[in-house]
Amino acid sequence: GRAAGRESPMAARQPFTDTDTADEAVRATCDDATTCKRFATSKGYWKDPYIQYFVRSVGDRKAPEINRGYYARVQGVNHLLDAFLRKTQCDCQVINLGAGLDTTFWRLKDENLMPRKFFEVDFPTVVARKIHNIKTKPPLSKPIIETHSTDSLLLDAHSLESDRYCIIGADLRDISSLDEKLKKFQLNPELPTLLLSECVLVYMTPSHSSNLVHWAAETFHTAMFINYEQVNMSDRFGQVMIENLQRRQCTLAGVEACQTLDSQKDRFLKTGWEHVDALDMMTVYSMLPQDDVARIERLEFLDEKELLQQLLQHYNICWATKDKLNLGNAHFNVSLMNGYVSCERTSK
Amino acid sequence: MTNGKKLHLTLRPLRQSIPMAHISENGSEKKMAEGGNDAELLKEKANKYFKEKDYENAIKYYSEALELNPSNAIYYSNRSLAYLRTECYGYALADATKALEVDKNYIKGYYRRATSNMALGKFKAALKDYETVVRVRPNDKDARMKYQECNKIVKQKAFERAIASDETKKSVVDSLDIENMTIEDDYTGPKLEDGKVTLKFMKEMMDWFKDQKKLHRKCAYQTEKITICGDTHGQYYDLLNIFKLNGLPSDTNPYLFNGDFVDRGSFSVEVILTLFGFKLLYPNNFHLLRGNHETDNMNQMYGFEGEVKAKYTAQMFQLFSEVFQWLPLAQCINNKVLVMHGGLFSEDGVTLEDLRKIDRNRQPPDSGPMCDLLWSDPQPQNGRSISKRGVSCQFGPDVTERFLEQNKLDFIVRSHEVKAEGYEVTHSGKCITVFSAPNYCDQMGNKGAYIHLRGSDLKPEFHQFTAVPHPNVKPMAYANTLMQLGMM
Repeated sequence: GRAAGRESPMAARQPFTDTDTADEAVRATCDDATTCKRFATSKGYWKDPYIQYFVRSVGDRKAPEINRGYYARVQGVNHLLDAFLRKTQCDCQVINLGAGLDTTFWRLKDENLMPRKFFEVDFPTVVARKIHNIKTKPPLSKPIIETHSTDSLLLDAHSLESDRYCIIGADLRDISSLDEKLKKFQLNPELPTLLLSECVLVYMTPSHSSNLVHWAAETFHTAMFINYEQVNMSDRFGQVMIENLQRRQCTLAGVEACQTLDSQKDRFLKTGWEHVDALDMMTVYSMLPQDDVARIERLEFLDEKELLQQLLQHYNICWATKDKLNLGNAHFNVSLMNGYVSCERTSK
Repeated sequence: MTNGKKLHLTLRPLRQSIPMAHISENGSEKKMAEGGNDAELLKEKANKYFKEKDYENAIKYYSEALELNPSNAIYYSNRSLAYLRTECYGYALADATKALEVDKNYIKGYYRRATSNMALGKFKAALKDYETVVRVRPNDKDARMKYQECNKIVKQKAFERAIASDETKKSVVDSLDIENMTIEDDYTGPKLEDGKVTLKFMKEMMDWFKDQKKLHRKCAYQTEKITICGDTHGQYYDLLNIFKLNGLPSDTNPYLFNGDFVDRGSFSVEVILTLFGFKLLYPNNFHLLRGNHETDNMNQMYGFEGEVKAKYTAQMFQLFSEVFQWLPLAQCINNKVLVMHGGLFSEDGVTLEDLRKIDRNRQPPDSGPMCDLLWSDPQPQNGRSISKRGVSCQFGPDVTERFLEQNKLDFIVRSHEVKAEGYEVTHSGKCITVFSAPNYCDQMGNKGAYIHLRGSDLKPEFHQFTAVPHPNVKPMAYANTLMQLGMM
């Protein structure tokens, strides 16, 4: 993989390799997610007052099934994340791997649900962009400054650190470098830690992603890893998605682990995680608070339900835990259905 | 109904009372109860005009009489007769009915009403009234004669109706023995390949026709098939592929496109203009039915409106909107197969006659048969359920069965739902779905399909096809939605 941190602009430019193109395509997916979330929030699917500072224009209309799909993703991941924060009483860390232009830190600040420290990691160019936005938009910088003990933040081209928020440019395929950087910015392996990756692992080879989740299991004794990405990819719909992405030079290098819910779980069970669960987004959608689901379904009329169904059936949320401190993760209440549902344990 | 003659009623001041001379009435007419001597005078005046065949004035003065005395059966009855004479049968019927409302024992009223109904072609209704008269006056020869005449007509009409439906059952197709037809040796024209129409045959036939030669009747009978396509949704390149696989539309290669021509796909304008073009070229052999996406709400949301405005003007879109409102909602093939975009109805008892009566030049209502035709879906279980779409309903095999039986049909063909194989046969073959937009939205990976339906046996033959490449259209406000790559 590429080393983190670019050479100075004056150095001779290296020729563009295939990896460069592939990485560039992956970075571009950050824009897809952000613009889709921007549109969906503008329509009222959920509230995000900060995303407008990362992408100003609401942009082109997205199909209703896309908006509903993002709604399910955001609600599902947030439920799990918030449950972990409450369970640990915020005495924990969060690391968002491949965070892109995500606005979760600012949401947690507003909701008084901030962990001890919130880390974000992404490609240096993405991080540079995010830092620029933070620096130039007071609604983004203020919460960070407010929660910082001193007057000045540690800031360079590809990283920003404050007491409660830290963003680092790194290549997730270079584990030793990643580990070094996180520890440099006061990552505490003793704290219960939540790691989050949304459509990240699928872009790296199975071996790279395996190393990453293994590193996480080795580094933290009490942790949860939430992974959101594709699943059930071996059918026609999956094939078409792969082809479509290929046409944009975007390769799903890690699609092997996305064959079934079991294959998604296996990658965690095989790398030192104790318990793991996975639900496809169709199931998650049906478990979300149904009055709010009814509300969003009224926002836009969906003409072909099958489109949403196929989309939801090809994405999943998988969450793995290890629980040395016996926080009760084994009986972790997913809270996906306001406490009615407790996830089933799947042990080795 | 009427010949357009209008009666102008003007309000006049009451006349001064004039001492009345005794007025003799005709034998069987009742005397007026009270008051309104003026009215009687007016009636007499009208009668005089009637005798002189001045029906306009007769009507005028009967009306004035009625203004003064509105509950006089005789005035209504007389005016009714005057209307009959002037061929205003609707007014005549109304007056006769009013006369009977005022006095149900007024025999002349029944006569008048019966005559009006006869003139309006409502023979059964007329017969009822003649029956009444005959019952009350069994010795009235005239009444009996009129009754018998009317009865004859009613019977004749019933007979005609009966044999008419018999005739359609026995179509020409049943009397043909195509298998055993022979083609003479000296016929040099195009022949079907293995009894099948091929592209080669089509091209040869088109050339043959061009030279004004005649296709052998064996081949002509066997080209009596129609191709039914389902949703195409702006997928122009896939539409071209259908024509490539199945031949261009022509008078011997008829097509029916079952709605949802636009929206979602980024080439909706190209699709709809092509389809409209063929409709104009072959009006009797190229058919378009309305889908739920041929409506303003859907076009606004799913791209067609944006595409038309981008490629043309808002006015152009208005025109499309108007034309869509005129698209028919259903089509019946050989009185046996009913085709519509959505499906069957939220209530039992809907007949083909009901469908013919729908005033379709509008946006579909939230419920009712017009809405159901565009929106409903079949379900596997019996009965009906609330639709998962939030509009119209889902209907079970028993609903289909009852509908087909009541309307003497064999099966229905509909579209509206994407199917992995491009088509689906449900309800024991009585409900067929056909969908012709392969790899729908560039995502679903489904096949498309079309149906061949031959007049000889009406057994559906399914043909599947896969998506073809299309240009990578530069993202625009409407097209962008279709290039979504999922949730990255």
